[in-house]
Amino acid sequence: MNKIWSSIIVVSLLYALCNQKMEAINASVLSVAEDTFMFVVPLLLLTAFWNGILYIANDTGLMKKMEHLLHPLLKKLLPDIKHDHQTLAYVAGNVVANMFGLGSAATPMGLKAMEGMQANNKNKNKASRSMVTFLVLNTAGVTIIPTTIIALRHNAMSVDPMGFVGCAIIATTCASVAGLLLDRIVNYRE
Amino acid sequence: MSSQLILPLLILGIFIYSLTKKVDIYASFIRGVKDGLGLFIDIYPSLLAMSFAIALLKESGLLIFISDLLTHGLPMIPSEVIPMCLFRSFSGSTTLVILVDIFQTSGVDSFAGIMASIIEGSTDTTFYVISLYFSYVKIKDISNSLWIGLFADLIGIICAILLTYTFFS
Repeated sequence: MNKIWSSIIVVSLLYALCNQKMEAINASVLSVAEDTFMFVVPLLLLTAFWNGILYIANDTGLMKKMEHLLHPLLKKLLPDIKHDHQTLAYVAGNVVANMFGLGSAATPMGLKAMEGMQANNKNKNKASRSMVTFLVLNTAGVTIIPTTIIALRHNAMSVDPMGFVGCAIIATTCASVAGLLLDRIVNYRE
Repeated sequence: MSSQLILPLLILGIFIYSLTKKVDIYASFIRGVKDGLGLFIDIYPSLLAMSFAIALLKESGLLIFISDLLTHGLPMIPSEVIPMCLFRSFSGSTTLVILVDIFQTSGVDSFAGIMASIIEGSTDTTFYVISLYFSYVKIKDISNSLWIGLFADLIGIICAILLTYTFFS
C-alpha cells in the first residue's frame, strides 16, 4: 500500500509538471482535507444509525438465529473445522455481518475465526484449506444490503438510491460462487 | 413493487422480533450509534490519504490518459468506470472516492453511476482482506487464496457490467 500510494503521488505530480497543470493541483491540495471530511461525515452518520439498528438485532439474538441458519452450509464449505463449533460460529457471524454491509462488525469476528482455524492448522506457516475458502467467501463479500453505497447514493440525491441493490446481489453471488467453485476445483482434489 | 420496501420492512422485522425478547433495545441502539461514530478516527485518515492521491491522479490528467488507453480496448465500459475496475481489488477507500467522483461528475443515476454502484457492491477489497486476516495469524504462505480472490473479483465486475446493460440501458 505504501509503495502504491507514494508512487501514485510522485508520478501524478511529475505528469502535472510536464503538462503545466499546477493551478488545478494547487486547488486540490488546498481543498482535499475539507472535501474528504464533507464526504465522510454524512456517510458516517448514516452508518452509525445503521450500527444502532444492528446492535438491536445482535442483543436480541436475531443475529444468532441467522448464524444457525448458515451452520449446515458452512459445515459443508469448511470440512476441516466442522467439529469446531466456536470457530464456525465466528465464521457465521462474520458472514452475516458482511451480508448487512457492516464491515466494521464483520472484521473482529473474522479475525477470531482465523485464530480458531490457525489452532486447527497443522502447518502454522501455511494457509489451511479452510482459511483459503473462508477468505474467498470474504473477498467476494456477499452483501445483501450495501449500506455504504446506499448512503452515498442518497447523499448524491439519487431518485432511486436502492435501485442497484438487486443487480449488486446477483453480481456478488456470482463472484462468490465462482470463487468457491475455483477453490473446490483447485484445492480439494483428493 | 419496489426497493423502497426493503429498509422499512427490515427495520419493522427487527423491532417486532425485539418485542418478543426482554432486551433494552433503546440502550442497544444508543450503544451502536456511539460505536459507529467512533469509526471516524479510523476511517478519515486512510480516506484522506487516498483522496489526496486520487485528486492528484485526476487533476494532473494522468487518470484520463490511462482511462482513454483502456477505453479503446474495452469500449463497453464507460471511461469513468475504468479506474474503479482497476482499483476495486486493491483499495476500498480509493474506489469509494472514485465512486463519489462519478456521482458528482456523471450523475448518480447515470449509466456510469449505476454501473459503478453495482461494481462497488459486487466484491470486497481482496488485497486488504487477505493481508489483514493472514497477517493477524502470522501466516506467510497464503497458498492460492489471492488468485482465487482476484478471479472472484473479476467475475463480479463482469457480472456487474452485464447486469447494468441488461437492466439499465
